[in-house]
Formats: sequence, C-alpha cells, structure tokens
Amino acid sequence: MSQASMVNIRINGTPLQVPMGEKVIESARRIGVDIPFFCYHPRLSAEAGANCRMCLVEAGFVGADGSVRMMPKPQTSCSLPASEGLVIETETPLVVEARRGVLELLLINHPLDCPICDRGGECPLQNNTLHYGPRTSRFVEEKRHFPKAHPLSEHVVFDRERCIHCARCTRFTSDISGDSQLGFLKRGADMEVNTFGASAYESRFSGNVIELCPVGALLSRDYRFRGRPWDLLTQESICTRCSNGCNIKIDHRAGRLVRVSARLNEAVNEEWTCDRGKFGMGYVNAGNRALRPLLRGEEGLREARWEEAMEEVARRLREADGAAAGVGGASLPNEDLYVWQRLWREAVGSRHLDHRMGPRFEPVAEDPIAWLAHHSMGMSIADLERARAILVIGSDLVDEQPIVFLRVRKAWRTCGTRVVELRPAASGSDAGSGHVRDFAALSARYRPGSEAALVRGILAAMGEEALLGSSASDALRTAMQGWTPERAAEECDLAGETIRAAARLLAPDGLAVIAGRELTHQAHAPQALAVLDDLLAITASAGNLAVPVGEVNAQGAMDLGILPDIGPAYTKLDRSGNSAQRILEAAGRGEVPVLWLMGVDLLNAFHDRALADRALRRCPFVVYAGHFLDETAARAHVVLPLQTSVERDGSFTSCERRVQRFQRAFQVSPEVRPGWLVCGDLAARLGVPMRYATARDIQTEIARTVPIYAECTPAALGDHGVRWALPSDSGPAAGASERPAGRAEA
Amino acid sequence: MAERLLLLEHRNVDGIDQIDTYEMRGGYEGLRRAVGMDRQAVIDEVKASGLRGRGGAGFPAWIKWNSIPKDRSRPHYVICNADEGEPGTFKDRELMVRLPHMVVEGIAIAAYATQAERAYIYIRGEFVEAALSIRRAVDEAYERGYIGRAVLGRADFCFDLFVHMGAGSYECGEESALMSSLMGERGQPRLKFPHAPLPVIEGLWGAPTLINNVETYACVPHILRNGGAWYATMGTKGSTGTKIMSVSGHVARPGNYEVEMGTPLLDLLDLAGGVTGGALKAVIPGGSSVPILPADRCAGVNLDFESCQAAGTMLGSGGCMVFHDRTDIVALMRRTAQFYAHESCGKCAPCREGTRWILQVLDRITAGGGRNSDIDLLSSICDQIDGRSYCALGDAAAWPIRASIKHYRHEYEHWIAHGRSPVGDAFVPPVPRRNPRAHTLSRA
Amino acid sequence: MALLSQAALEEIERIARRYHEPRAAMLPALWVAQREYGGWIPRDALEAVASALNQPSVEVEGVATFYTMFNLRPRGRHHIEVCTCLTCGTQGAYDVLHRLSEHLGVAEGETTSDGEFTLCEAECLNWCSQPVVIQIGDRYHTGLDPESAVSLVESLRGVDRQRPQDLAAAIVGVHQPAHLSPGDGAPGGRS
Ligand SMILES: Cc1cc2nc3c(=O)[nH]c(=O)nc-3n(C[C@H](O)[C@H](O)[C@H](O)COP(=O)(O)O)c2cc1C
Ligand code: SF4
Ligand code: FES
Repeated sequence: MSQASMVNIRINGTPLQVPMGEKVIESARRIGVDIPFFCYHPRLSAEAGANCRMCLVEAGFVGADGSVRMMPKPQTSCSLPASEGLVIETETPLVVEARRGVLELLLINHPLDCPICDRGGECPLQNNTLHYGPRTSRFVEEKRHFPKAHPLSEHVVFDRERCIHCARCTRFTSDISGDSQLGFLKRGADMEVNTFGASAYESRFSGNVIELCPVGALLSRDYRFRGRPWDLLTQESICTRCSNGCNIKIDHRAGRLVRVSARLNEAVNEEWTCDRGKFGMGYVNAGNRALRPLLRGEEGLREARWEEAMEEVARRLREADGAAAGVGGASLPNEDLYVWQRLWREAVGSRHLDHRMGPRFEPVAEDPIAWLAHHSMGMSIADLERARAILVIGSDLVDEQPIVFLRVRKAWRTCGTRVVELRPAASGSDAGSGHVRDFAALSARYRPGSEAALVRGILAAMGEEALLGSSASDALRTAMQGWTPERAAEECDLAGETIRAAARLLAPDGLAVIAGRELTHQAHAPQALAVLDDLLAITASAGNLAVPVGEVNAQGAMDLGILPDIGPAYTKLDRSGNSAQRILEAAGRGEVPVLWLMGVDLLNAFHDRALADRALRRCPFVVYAGHFLDETAARAHVVLPLQTSVERDGSFTSCERRVQRFQRAFQVSPEVRPGWLVCGDLAARLGVPMRYATARDIQTEIARTVPIYAECTPAALGDHGVRWALPSDSGPAAGASERPAGRAEA
Repeated sequence: MAERLLLLEHRNVDGIDQIDTYEMRGGYEGLRRAVGMDRQAVIDEVKASGLRGRGGAGFPAWIKWNSIPKDRSRPHYVICNADEGEPGTFKDRELMVRLPHMVVEGIAIAAYATQAERAYIYIRGEFVEAALSIRRAVDEAYERGYIGRAVLGRADFCFDLFVHMGAGSYECGEESALMSSLMGERGQPRLKFPHAPLPVIEGLWGAPTLINNVETYACVPHILRNGGAWYATMGTKGSTGTKIMSVSGHVARPGNYEVEMGTPLLDLLDLAGGVTGGALKAVIPGGSSVPILPADRCAGVNLDFESCQAAGTMLGSGGCMVFHDRTDIVALMRRTAQFYAHESCGKCAPCREGTRWILQVLDRITAGGGRNSDIDLLSSICDQIDGRSYCALGDAAAWPIRASIKHYRHEYEHWIAHGRSPVGDAFVPPVPRRNPRAHTLSRA
Repeated sequence: MALLSQAALEEIERIARRYHEPRAAMLPALWVAQREYGGWIPRDALEAVASALNQPSVEVEGVATFYTMFNLRPRGRHHIEVCTCLTCGTQGAYDVLHRLSEHLGVAEGETTSDGEFTLCEAECLNWCSQPVVIQIGDRYHTGLDPESAVSLVESLRGVDRQRPQDLAAAIVGVHQPAHLSPGDGAPGGRS
C-alpha cells in the first residue's frame, strides 16, 4: 500500500493513518478498538452485508475550517470506507443504545435455547449479548416458529428459528464456493434461508457455513449434541485428506476426534476447508484401526508383541539380503519417509523403493528437475491470484484439488482472471453446480487423448491471430509444428472457433496451467505436458505449470526420495532400483522375498489390482505398516500399527511444496507407534543405529542433510509452514523476482 | 386559493394521451428547445427552476443531474421511478394514464442532459393501465423520432426508453432497491456511502444513473419550454412550482389537485370539497410515511417542504389523507404498521424485526390485550428502528407511530385501559377472518 | 428442460437484450412463466427460468417469493385482491372483504372449492380517491361497496377474463420490444 493512498482518520479521538477505503471496523482494530458485529466478513461481499446493524458507529468529517460535522444517522462501520478527515466515535450513548436496540431486536424471535445449542459457549450472539445486550426481554408476543433441526445436507443441520439473517451462509455459497445453493426466500420477518425447493444442500464446502454462522442455526450433524466447546481440547494440525495442505484445528475429547475446523493460513486455505477434510478425519477413531502388531501363524493373523514382530521382520530383512522391496509412503509424514528410506538404503541395502501407484512410472534420474516440473506445482496456490489467465486441463478441479479450486475461483472473482476449462469428453460426471465450468470464460470437451493437438492448435491460433508479441514468433513457429486451428479442431472433435476463442483468452502472457488426473494418468501425458510447457514458454509464463499430486504427502515422498532412482532432494543414485510396477511384477513371479507396504492399501490403491493381488499371493513375506486393518493388511504376514498424524508430531509437504508441521493431539492406543520409530528400531536391529528421540530430531536432520529442505527447520516451520522453491519458481506474476534453486520462502 | 394547473392543465382534453393532441398543446416543445441547447445549459435551466424531487425527499433535481459525469467512459442510465406505492398517493398513476407523453418528454430531456444511452421507466406491477398508456406513448415517440437514434436530428443524441414492471413490492420505490429489482434481484436496497449517497456515479450495473420520480420528470418539459426562472416564480422560495396533491379519505371530492407550492393545507381540503362525515380529526399530508397532523395543528401549515417540516410533518409524496373525528387512530396505526411489516424487505435487522413487533403489539392492543407499558414499548421500538435501518423504510415505519403517540396518547391509553375504541367500536374495522395456513405476510 | 415453450424462451431472450445483463430479465421472465402456466409458477418453471437466464435456481426462487404478485401456488380463476390500506380501510374495505368472504364461503387467503375465486387482502393499490378498490387480474375496480362487490364478482364467474394469466400477459406485453425500438438489436444510443 503506497503512502499516497493513506488517509488520516480519527477514532475515539485517536488519530491514525489507514489505507483509503479500508472499512472502519478494520481500522478500529488497528488501535485496539473493538466494534461488535455479526454479518461482517472480510471475504464476503459487502453488498449483501451491512444488514445486522450491530456495528453502528457515529461518523463525521473534519471540515475545511477544522470543525467536525457529524452525520445525523449512525453508520455501519463494516461498510464505511475510510476517507480523509473521517471522524469516528464508537462509544457514544447513541452507539451504546443502538447496539442494545439491535440485540434486543435480534433476540425477540431467537429461541434462546442456548442450553441445548451446540454453539453455546462460542456463540457471537451470546457473547455480544453479554457485553452489549439488554438484560431483560420486553417481548411478550409469539415468536416465529419453524421446525427444529432441519437436515440441510449430508453434513449440515439447520435450526431456522435461530437464524439472524446475516447472509453469511448465503454469501459463502455464492461468493466463495460458487455453488449458490443457499439463498433467501420470502421477505420481511418471514424471510428465510433455504435451498431451492427445500432440496438437499449439495456442496463440497458445506461445512464452512457452520463456522461462518454467528449463531447456532447451522450445525454439524456429526458434532450435534456431542460436546460443549469448553470441554474440548484443541490441537493445530494439517488435513490429510488430499495434498492441498489445509491448516486445521482438531477438537478432541477423551481420545476421540470430535470435530475439525479451519485454521487460518492466507497462503493455503485462507479460512476454508472442504467437506472431505472437515468431515473425513474421523478415520483416526475408525473401528478398523490397526491397534496391535499382528503376525501370521497357522490360523492366520494373530496378535503379537512388538518385540516378537520386529524380530521376525528384522530376520526376514536380513535374509532377503538387498532383494527386499518397499512400496507406498505417500500417506505418511516426512519423518517416517526419511527414516524409512534410510533404513532401506543403509540398513537393508535395497534400492527398490517407490511411492507411486501408477499408471505412470517414468524414470526420474535423467533430468529430475524436468521430471518434477511435470509432477508438482510450478507456482504456489496463492500465486494463482496473480495469473492473468488460467487454463485448467483434464481435471474436475473441485473434486481433485478443492482448495486450489477455491483459489482459482477467487482469482476469477476478485482479480478478473480469465479461466479456460478443457476436459476430455466422457470424463467423470460433474453434475450440479460449483465447478470450474460455472465461471470459466470457456469450457469445452475434447476427444480423449488429443491434448497435444489441442494445445498445438491453440498455439497456431495465437500465431494466426497475432495474439503474441513478435519476439515469440520463431519459437511459436517451431511449437506449432505445422498445425492449424482447423486441423487441431478436427483432431480434437471441437469447433475451430473454440480453439481460437481459447487462444484469445489465454494470450498473451501471465498464464498458469493446471493439469489434472484426466491428463496425467494417460500414457501420453509426458508428450502432452511438454506441449503445455511450450505454451507457457511462448506466453512468457515458463514454469507456471501445476500438476498437483493427489495424496497428502506424495510431494514429500518425491522430495525425500521414495523413488527407485533418486535419493532425497532428487540426488541421482549410483544404481537404480525397481519401480513399484517392476517390484510387483517381480513379486508376482515370486522373486521378492520381503515386500514392505508403507501405509498403503495396495489392492485398492495400485492401478493394476490383478497385479497387486498376484504380488501379495506370491510374495513369501509381506510387511504392512499402516493405520488400518484393510483388505491389504488382511493379506500381510505381519502388520505393524502406525500412528496417524493426529497421534504424533511430524510434517507433510503439500502439493505446492509447502512443508507444514502438525502436533500430536491425543493417543488412540499405547500399542500404536510412529513410523519413524519402527523404521529406526529395525535399522538398529540390522546394525545401523539411528538416534532419534523425537520427530523434531528428524526434522532437524532433514534440514541439515536435504538441501531443498534446508530452511525447513522445526523453528522455521512455525504455524504456517515453509515452501521450498524451484529454480523456475517465479509465479505467474509479471516480473516477480527470481529465487535461487533450493531456497525456501515462508 | 385555487388550483394552479400546470402539469394537469390538459388532463381532461380528449386524446391528450396521444402524440398528435399532445403536440398540438405544445408537447415536445421542451425537448426541442433542450436539444437546441448545450447540455449544461439544460441543467442550468433546471437549476434556475429550483425544482425539487417529487418522490418524497424533495432533493434538488439539478444537483443529481449535474453530478452525472460529463464524460462517457461508461454508459449512463436514466430511471423514472414509477413505483408509486406510498399509501395515499395516486398522482403518478394519473400522470401516466392521462399525460404519458409529458412523462416521456421529461425523461427524454433528462437523457439528453445526462448523455444517457438508455432509460427505464420502472412501473409497479399493479399499474397495468398506466403501463399500457406509457408503452403506447413510448412507441409513438419512437415513431416521431423523440426517442431512438439521432433524436430530432442530433447525431450525438441517441437513447432508448424501456418500460420495466415491478411485481408487488413497496420497497422497490426506494431508489437503490428499485435498481436491485431492475437488475433482476430481490427488491432490497444497496449500499450507499456517506460521501456518495446518490447513484449518480455508481448506480445501475455500477454505472452513473439518474433517478427521479414521475412527477419530477413531468415538470421538466414545462421548465424547458417556459424557462427555469419562470417556473421559480411559482411556489415559495425554497419550494418552487406546483405540486400535485392526492387527496383522499373523508372529503367530498377526493382526487388529484395541482396547487402552487405554499398553498395552505386547509385550502386544499376546501378544494376537495371539505371534510365529510364529521369534523376534521387529522390529516396525514404526505403519504403514510409522514407524521400525522391533528386538526388543531393544520391551520397555518402550507403545502411546501419547509412549512410541513416546521409543523412536524412532511410534504412527502403529496398523498394527503383526511380523517374525520370518528376515526380510531390506534386502529389506523395498526393498519399502517401492517403495511410496513408486510413491505419490509427483510434485509436489515431493525426493520425486519421491529416492524413486525410493532404490528404484534398493536394487534394485541386492538384485540383488548394492551398493557400499560405498551406505549413506552412502542416508542422505544420506534427509536430502535429510526435512523438505524438500512434504508428509509424503517424510518417511515417508525415516524407515523411515534407521531400518533405524541398526539393521540390518550387514545392508546383508552384502548389499554378499556380494551375498546375511544371512538366507538363501530368505527374500528374488524380484522378479517384469515386462514392461518394460507396466510403469511408475504404471500408466496 | 422443455418446460417453457421455444417461443417463450425466445421471448425472454429478446427481452433480455434490453439490459446490460440478461439477469435483469428476471422479472419479465417470471411474468412469462406465470402467463404460460395459467397464472402461477410451478417449481419446474422456476428452474426453467433459472436455466434460461443462467442463474442459480435458489436465486430465482428468492426473487419469485419476494414479490407478492408472483404466485407460487395456483390461484382461482379470479384472484380478488381487496385493498384494505389506510383510506380504503377506513371507508368500507373491511366490510367488502367480510361480505365477499361470507358470500364465497372462504377465509382471506383461500380459494373457493370450485377453483373460481381466491380472496385476498391487498396493501395500498394507490387509487385512494375512489374507495373501495379491488384488483382482479389486469383490472382495477373502484368505488365498490359490499353489494356492488358481490355483483362484480358474480359477473366474472366462469368468465375467462381478468385472470392472473391475463395480468401476466399484459405485463409481458409491455416489455415486448416493438419493431420500432432498436433495443432488441445492438445497444442503441452510443454516440
Ligand atoms: C420505502 C421507500 C419507498 C419509496 N417509494 C417511492 C415511490 O414509490 N416513488 C418515488 O418516486 N419515490 C419513492 N421513494 C423515494 C426514492 O427513494 C427516491 O428518493 C426518488 O425516486 C427520487 O426521485 P425524486 O428526487 O424525483 O423525488 C421511496 C423511498 C423509500 C425509502
Ligand atoms: S443461518 Fe446463520 S449464517 Fe445463515 S443467515 Fe442465518 S444466522 Fe446467518
Ligand atoms: S457487521 Fe456491520 S451491519 Fe452487520
């Protein structure tokens, strides 16, 4: 914010400088003046706000002669923009009286059933009433009645009587999630929040409205009546349900996870979560958790002591003599993966390690940085806001990368970013609202497999219509490879005009491309991604390719070398091991003496179930280290129960290469151990002692030994994590400063 | 004093709603003169006339006209507020039905002065007759080249005029709510900023927008034809020109009367044939939103913005309702409260909750269940709405109740003490039998 | 969704061109729907309007339920709306309402069992000089007392005029671009 746009205002006699246009309610916070509010929310449109009137203040202006002229009516500070000479009073008798009046009016039709309301104890309505409200009620008429506890969605229940009509929930669905599921019906005192025709509220982000609602009107069906907030313990954590790395808070009680809420991180999830995360963390207390070591005996799997199980595994590994193989790891924290690969490479002496589940298993070592560019995000999530145009190709983004989706939508809504969505025809269903296509300037379906032709066609159209600067022309001619928009159109089963329109939207620069599963899971993905690289280079946006990983720590697994041909930090190994595909093929032929499955339900995760099945059948000793007694665990010879992220300390690396730590919330069973402890113990048994007492020790060692994680020390990780940067990492912003390879940014 | 017919001069002329007759009586001369002038000169003429808005607030028209940006980096819009919904007011309807071309001409002049490319007349949904009349006039005006491309040969003056109809909501008369409605939204008001309270910079679709009332536009052709200075010779210094007063209630000849601003209120009652059915009890001079004026305060009140204000009421939209001495004020206020509770848009807490509460209390009092504390309670609810709601509908709901308590406290006390009307139950309209299931305030 | 005829959809499209954003055709489109569906707007028609204007369905429902003149349930052939506001209310409107209620055998807000009449109380219809005022479909009737109101209503029994759909049709008609107005082409008036 430049000095030029600062203005001088006065709040309760204190002069201060604030950015012009800042809402007075925010300015007041700068000097510790609290103004109560309900409907105000900085991320929601102001137009539909300013309705609760709780934030009224007296306002006036300093005139040319220095005298102050107050406005006759109090003003809502949540909508009042700061301008030069503004004078604000927040504690006058009029303001105090206005707040009391507003609260009385908000309460007359509120049921006041706080004793049985989940929001009790953390309810803005309760809190504001305590501080600013009337002491008694003068309302003797009949209150508004609605049926209690109306189930609104799979996750959300609605008590309409408690609603104060603040429009936070409705604005969330129209402004943020974009599915526009909630709206106001009727008017006046009959006005109500509802879905269309009282149908189910369908959204991938419905849980957010529970946190936004300033009263107990929108509640979690899971959490309803399960606790009082003051009985809960809270731990800051990271969501594990996808790779986006949402910052969350875990509320728990007596060893059980009770609810999940969003934790603010402007760089990642802002203050949102998706429903998969918010309502999907219950697995930590699931009935099928592995809680004891198991060993296969005559009668199948039986409970065993850790000592017994570990000794057996150590013996087998010793016997395997380097032929053991490890598969999985993308769901486990960095500390586990780091120690696991040390165990494997240093103690077991095996090169066969791979976290990938397919279908693609290309070699990495030839050019790790180029490989990484096609398996990671070239820019940060927040950088998307700075793109001028975003191409989403081969992805139902909201489903695959919910938080990246929200950021793309935000870029479109608040920065005017043009968004183009291209997906293969007959790709998965994306019925309902709240998809990229709802706001994309162009959304089209191409013939599956024709991505390369499509992008070349777009390049050709850029050339034909002279959409790029002249400096691009040589590179462009090379990249076009003789394609024309029309030829591409035929190949892709699209209209030529569609391709031209896409070209116009994506040119000339500031482009970001997000490629999803529908593309990356194809055999021809490398070629298609290479053409996308051309597109980005020619639009002066080189490096802005995002290929976000899927699983929570797949990025960490790559970074820490859970791959057959590279070690941590993409260092080339002397000799390559086998990819997961090769490992399982070998196991299927009975050539793998020990197969270690790291936190993965192989049968359901591997792209080729038949092969996984064969491998499990033919491998003489399968170690399953993980959280659940799933289908794969049931086929193992030994099951080593591992702690989930909720039970221990550790860190994950999100799809944008942000290393974020989490801390133990509670214990599920003393018999469950962290993965790094199990791996370290085995290494010691194999004669390579590793002295780690805590996850922190490992974090420190990683920071010391893995260059790309050099700045990811426990202290630096802090609350919001550290993102390590690629050489190309400049983001879509025109002229953003370049950062050296391997350096991190907070 | 007699009527001073300016706008309504030809209201009874056969065929005056058609363009030929209208032209024969000097119609579209104002527009011709305007397009022969510099745009700023037109605005200056309006300034000289002293014309103030006729929609209720009496805001000087020229200030709005002059605040529309002079460049055309964005489209400019002109809106005619024809949502006339204020109880007691029916002047805009008569203007539109009888003299549609005068309204169209006024809008065309405004479009010229503000370089608007499109104008919309927002007519309330119930006014089908008025809308058809306006629509015919618009079509005729297109045909004669008063609307459309290169109006009257001026290549730089092209504009379209469209009729847009509401669908039943008083709040849509509030200018920002009207724009919400015109843009296809719920008829709820939009944010206004203290330093830019008018939509002249950001109105319809975020573009500069001029909005005036039907009667305001209807004055404009006369101003342009005869000059602003001439117009300002009528009326008072602060309130120039004439005003159409809609007189209704207990008078012998209810109807629209056009008088010079500053005409004594009692003269207007005489014009309307005097009070019938009893002695005068009270007058609500400017539509249901303005404070009630008891008979003994009517003398000396003149029909101009300043005099009404001095008397503790307002000229408002000119909907003058007259009540004889067997009118039950509490029941009248109950009906007023019903109107505002029904029409509150629901957006803001004070108005949404407060208007309904007032109605509930008044329902209880007029059902014989009044409590001694109710009068103070009603005043206090009014205080909690007035000045704190999102738009002026809240204020308008509070003022009449508060004034009625001030002037007729004894009638409230009578109701509360005896559970009966002070003027006799025969004069209290019985509340109709309602089907509770079929009936909600907003009848979807 | 073939819930609005092609002609109706084209009509909406033509009207929408007169505004900077098609959404502004929301009220006219709902009027079209109300005309097409015989005086009320069923749920499917709301969805059809939503898809015609590319708006979220809940927004359309929010608009339709905001305005009193959109009927989201069927009305009788004649929708009788008696103004009971201040001046009508103090000059006999309630007597008219009671008389009609008695005569038709329905309470306020109800429809007669033969589907002929729906009786409602209305807020100010702004013809206060000629009380009592009743709106039926596209027509205002003024100067009524209980007896003349009954004969008015009886004169309409079984008559296919002044129905809710006639009101809707009249209002749609006012919005229809005439061949003269350039508004149904490119935006006019750019100088
Ligand atoms: C609740 C409410 C209802 C209103 N209704 C109308 C109306 O029906 N017609 C009108 O011209 N102005 C109405 N107004 C006033 C308008 O907001 C606005 O002041 C007017 O259109 C400006 O035109 P004017 O300057 O020509 O008076 C209303 C205001 C409020 C607060
Ligand atoms: S349900 Fe909650 S968030 Fe939604 S409008 Fe009501 S009070 Fe606000
Ligand atoms: S917080 Fe400002 S009006 Fe609600």
